[in-house]
Amino acid sequence: MTVLAALQALGRHRARSALTALGVVIGVAAVIAMVSVGQGADASVEAQLASLGPNIVMIFPGATTAGGVRSGWGGASTLTVGDGRAIEKECPSVAGVTWVKRDIAQVTYGNQNWSTAIQGSPPSYTLVRDWPLASGRFFTASDEDGAAKVVVLGRTVVEKLFAPDEDPLGATIRAKNVPLRVIGVLASKGQTSWGQDQDDVVIVPFSTAERRVIGSAFLGTVNLIMVSAPSPAEAIAAEQEMRRLLHDRHRTPPGQDDDFTVRNMAELFEASLMASRVMTKLLATIASISLVVGGIGIMNVLLVSVTERTREIGIRLAVGAKARHILLQFLVESAVLSMTGGVLGAGLGVGAALVIGRLAGWPILLSPAAVALAFLFSGAVGLVFGVYPARRAARLDPIVALRHE
Amino acid sequence: MIAVQDLRKTYDLDHGSNVVEALRGVSLVVRAGEFLAVMGASGSGKSTLLNVLGCLDRPTAGQYLLDGEDVGCLDADRRAELRNAKIGFVFQSFNLLPRTTARENVELPLVYGTAPIAEHRGRAEAALQAVGLGDAAGRLPNELSGGQQQRVAIARALVNRPRLVLADEPTGNLDTETSREIMELLRSLNASQGLTVMIVTHEPDIAAATDRVIVMRDGRIVSDTPTAGRRAPS
Ligand SMILES: Nc1ncnc2c1ncn2[C@@H]1O[C@H](COP(=O)(O)OP(=O)(O)O)[C@@H](O)[C@H]1O
Ligand SMILES: [Mg+2]
Repeated sequence: MTVLAALQALGRHRARSALTALGVVIGVAAVIAMVSVGQGADASVEAQLASLGPNIVMIFPGATTAGGVRSGWGGASTLTVGDGRAIEKECPSVAGVTWVKRDIAQVTYGNQNWSTAIQGSPPSYTLVRDWPLASGRFFTASDEDGAAKVVVLGRTVVEKLFAPDEDPLGATIRAKNVPLRVIGVLASKGQTSWGQDQDDVVIVPFSTAERRVIGSAFLGTVNLIMVSAPSPAEAIAAEQEMRRLLHDRHRTPPGQDDDFTVRNMAELFEASLMASRVMTKLLATIASISLVVGGIGIMNVLLVSVTERTREIGIRLAVGAKARHILLQFLVESAVLSMTGGVLGAGLGVGAALVIGRLAGWPILLSPAAVALAFLFSGAVGLVFGVYPARRAARLDPIVALRHE
Repeated sequence: MIAVQDLRKTYDLDHGSNVVEALRGVSLVVRAGEFLAVMGASGSGKSTLLNVLGCLDRPTAGQYLLDGEDVGCLDADRRAELRNAKIGFVFQSFNLLPRTTARENVELPLVYGTAPIAEHRGRAEAALQAVGLGDAAGRLPNELSGGQQQRVAIARALVNRPRLVLADEPTGNLDTETSREIMELLRSLNASQGLTVMIVTHEPDIAAATDRVIVMRDGRIVSDTPTAGRRAPS
């Protein structure tokens, strides 16, 4: 019955109850939205890390300038297949090595054409990048040795050149006017963290690229060497070994910058993952503060309400209410306010998280634990901040309360 | 019904420097079924006496027997139970809960009592019927006249079927005609149900409508007489 009295009291001041609960609504919504968005950001960083291959080290030709800017992709032909082979032989922390020669090319099939990246790589490429095929097969050593006119297509290129029900395997496409037989289609990998479509590519054997399609002023030069390591720690070790090896092989004079640039992806992503996690915690903390502020709002309104309703409390005491009835009534009012706020806030938070996720274009992880926690926390906020006003109400002397104007 | 002996009440406002002796030794016996008035100048201790008799306040000294039970030294919870079960209060300013219907106001003592919830509504409506407001159950206090509000307050005082009704200037905020109606209502409840009714009032007319008048001055009873028009006990 006291619970009913509490609900009636809230109902008699609907606007005020709604505004009071709003503080908690916003607090809970903020916690849920921020945690979901933050965890979604973590997940998207992790997904990018996974799509590139977890422990990849990349080496580009050309020095890093003082400002950290490279002199452009393949701007200097200082990196060779020989460097790649040497790394494979002499760096113990390296699991796999592959290399890439790249160009932009128009590819045609029937009357369809599409401008894409054409890439020459040895058979080790899909292994190093841990990139499975959706159908068909990748190159073999004999394709490489014979500079076979075969090609493996990325998902995007398949979509641009072929009809949806058409099987690209066995078809012959032309790249830079060279006919190439499609022997495989790569599984879709999506975008890199810098927004590049990794599926917009056609891959031919390295020798085919060098001798038939792309051509090369200096035989054996590559645009990129890619190395995989079994673990992030070994990726860092491999980086050191390769720097030393290439420094020696390129006979860089003392005091001069190396003529190659190393990018350790694991390191890079570790850093951005860390940043994203710190961000999540920061957001959650700020959001929690807003929840506490909501709780203080409840306490404030209840204190005003106790003063304003002193006479009501006096009347209740006069007709036989005990101190604990009054205490319970105000605690229930507080708990109902904050729990209602919690429920509405959870809904609003989930909605906000979905909208933010759509706008920002990253996945949203709605963690049920965060929703449950925010809800329980809101209930606790209601009780904690309700105790003080409720005790003040319950301690009133009936005579004093009745004489209150 | 009521037997008090040398009842004293002092208000110690700021720790000794300002002590108000509101009751300075009141002795009084009220039998069940009596209808009496307490008169006296403002500040003479009438309200204080009524509050102590109604277990709203504790006496500083003296003995108070209610139905033979010594209630002067009971704790707050036990006094709340007594107020709920045995005593009905009527106040000068009605003291109805605002924004709360007449029926819900009347139900209030039931909320804190022992009656089964299923009976609350019916009993509240019956009590409103008994004070002639059967059709006002759903109205809010600010939709009712002063006299109607006081009737609702009387219904609330009666809903738990107490044996004692204490009314502190129940007609103080009402015009003469309405005052007369309220007094008739209290009289009829006294006559039909044997209810003990004690009224504080300033108005000789109101006091004259009761059976016994007690006059107080400076915290003491200075006279205690039956009224001229006293009827034969029924
Ligand atoms: N709660 C209180 N605190 C301090 N003094 C009080 C209190 N209640 C009553 N008094 C004092 O006690 C005296 C008697 O008051 P009261 O019983 O209200 O008189 P009456 O009802 O006859 O006008 C007055 O002097 C009043 O100021
Ligand atoms: Mg008074």
